[in-house]
Amino acid sequence: MIENLIDGPLWYFSLAVFCIGVLWQLVTIIFASRKQDLSLARSSSTSGALKTVFSRFVPHKEMTSKIGIQLVAGYLFHLGLFALLFFAAPHVIFLEQNLLGFGWAPLPHWAFIIAAQAAFLGLIILWLRRMLHPVSRLISTLDDHIVAILTFVVMLTGCFALLESSTGLRLLHRFSVELWLIYFPFSALMHTFTFIPSRAFTGAWFGRRGIDA
Amino acid sequence: MARMKFYCDAERCIECNACVTACKNEHEIPWGVNRRRVVTIKDGEQGERSLSVACMHCSDAPCATVCPVDCFYTTGDGIVLHDKDICIGCGYCFYACPFGAPQFPEEAAFASRGKMDKCTFCAGGPEEDHSSDEYKKYGRNRLSEGKLPLCAEMCATKALLSGDADVVSDIYRKRVINRGSSAFNWGGNAKITG
Amino acid sequence: MNIQTLLLLVGLLLPQLSLADGPPKQNNFPDGVSSQSLGADLWREVRQRDLQSSGVSQVKGVDSGILINAHGDQWARFRTSKLTTYGSIALAAMFGLVFLFYVIRGKIGIEGGFSGNMVQRFTDYQRIAHWTLAIVFLFLAITGLILLLGRPLLIPLFGKGVFSILASASKEGHNLFGPLFLVSLLMMLFSYVSRNIYEKGDLTWLLRLGGSIGDGHVSTGYFNMGEKIWYWIVILIGLVVALSGLILVSPNFGQGRVIMELSHITHTIGALALIVFSVAHIYLGWIGSEGAMEGMKTGYVDASWADAHHDRWGKECRDQGLVISAEEYARLQGKNPAVEVATEQGK
Repeated sequence: MIENLIDGPLWYFSLAVFCIGVLWQLVTIIFASRKQDLSLARSSSTSGALKTVFSRFVPHKEMTSKIGIQLVAGYLFHLGLFALLFFAAPHVIFLEQNLLGFGWAPLPHWAFIIAAQAAFLGLIILWLRRMLHPVSRLISTLDDHIVAILTFVVMLTGCFALLESSTGLRLLHRFSVELWLIYFPFSALMHTFTFIPSRAFTGAWFGRRGIDA
Repeated sequence: MARMKFYCDAERCIECNACVTACKNEHEIPWGVNRRRVVTIKDGEQGERSLSVACMHCSDAPCATVCPVDCFYTTGDGIVLHDKDICIGCGYCFYACPFGAPQFPEEAAFASRGKMDKCTFCAGGPEEDHSSDEYKKYGRNRLSEGKLPLCAEMCATKALLSGDADVVSDIYRKRVINRGSSAFNWGGNAKITG
Repeated sequence: MNIQTLLLLVGLLLPQLSLADGPPKQNNFPDGVSSQSLGADLWREVRQRDLQSSGVSQVKGVDSGILINAHGDQWARFRTSKLTTYGSIALAAMFGLVFLFYVIRGKIGIEGGFSGNMVQRFTDYQRIAHWTLAIVFLFLAITGLILLLGRPLLIPLFGKGVFSILASASKEGHNLFGPLFLVSLLMMLFSYVSRNIYEKGDLTWLLRLGGSIGDGHVSTGYFNMGEKIWYWIVILIGLVVALSGLILVSPNFGQGRVIMELSHITHTIGALALIVFSVAHIYLGWIGSEGAMEGMKTGYVDASWADAHHDRWGKECRDQGLVISAEEYARLQGKNPAVEVATEQGK
């Protein structure tokens, strides 16, 4: 009963909410009315946009020493999560059989586990810093905590199901993924997609005004 | 009630590995898993002997003692079986077993082993007899068809014996008696040192 | 007695002969011919009495040439009877001790109460290191105890089917989080080591058991000897537990069963010691000593707390002007009324 719900309707529902929600968010952001910039262009806004999308991957030199631990933990978490999400053998097989119809070469098991460990360590450190640093704690919203905890639960249930033998553990993982997908478009998780347009917007504005930052 | 046992006669085993192959074929065991193996002692030296070994279906099995999820059980015939639905692939039974009988489909990093597999005395598992589930997880259930383990049944030299412990030991006892006379006739193990 | 009966007796005696150590029995045959007892050599090799494996097998695998590993059974019995029993007794005893300590001593407060003035005790990085280690350790402790004690304690409650799911989750979680313990242990090592070197006065603290014997408080610096001992217990036993865990978690390198059995015993005893001591540590930090938890949460402790528990360090801080006022502390913690108004408006 619950198995059919999680594998069937709830999965399609969460997938639909995710896809439609993400598309809707992106469309509204891209087509949001903006005031026309009447200033004289000092430099190309396109090149400014492109530059900023990439330059923001590295912090400013002045900041590096202050945010060292976030920098390391941030990259550990995001790279680890990306690797385990798209290159873990069970995920590749799942995507091939249920969604895409084609697969690709997965990571060997040990590499996938190391990616997961990096992601776990990064997430724990990032969330601890959010809780322990007074300023971070002050500017953190409920959404930030929900996002961190929900992602952690998704990863933890996935870790629990690693033996791939218990239906209960598989369903637990899948259910948490479905909650995550439903929550995704309405939360800070949207930064997965919005970081590019938001960087590009700032970059274009800077570029047009000739700001080198 | 019968008490099932294996016995391998070192004086007869010729290390042909037919028992290993028969077992693999009968139960469709994947590569890397060997429920039975033949070990040769002093290979190429004087006194070379071979023994075929698998799960010995101990009365007080160390694997069952140590299993953290208690997945082992002993059948009425004294056969030690395990439930793969309960097994978590921790590998403790392999460390505990004196004979190295428990096998794992893989031995990967981060202790990723998969579920344990071992000799079932051709008696299947907890699933319904002759069901496809039973065959997939544990292999053929010959015992319920009234047949003994294939490894011993097809042993060319009849070195490997299986069946009720009383019968097996009777056969072996007779062999020892016959052999004993030839040993004292300077055959067998006698060696000329002068 | 006919010859057949005699031979039968000899045949039956053969297995017993094989159990005896020492050189094979020689029979007195005519000159130049010796006959060794049938099978004695073979079974000595099989039992590996000299721990030398001389067997080979066409089947390639860990220890596949070894016919009988006698240590396996010893290990299994040690784990099942001794480790689980004494482990749970030690754990229960520590909970009892802590409860007794709470009943007798109660919460250790500060004479004269808190001053409100604060002094920084831990940096952000130190606290992140501590809590990372704490989270990883607690997760590993719980999953590890489930695997060790689950069969006698949890199977009767949940049944085998449900417990198998729990144990499978615990095992996978334990194996994945294990290496993170080593990483967080190293973070801990580097961020606190300079404060945990032996100093003058530490021996006095130890001899007087932190002021329990004799009158009054023993003068201490930043960390007292008890804290330093706990730190080195965590680091040293932690390293042993982490490294033996790495051996256990990498069967792909093909180490033999004996190494695995020894690693398992080392791992479990070390981990049990850490768990038992950590119960006391958690009690003292959380409930037992008032004002201590705040230090690990915010990084700041009350100046009176510093004077009461670490007088030399407290004095040092006052001399160097490191003590900040309650208002300044509130501002640092973002509790300034002006900030609160600003955030309200921002919402």
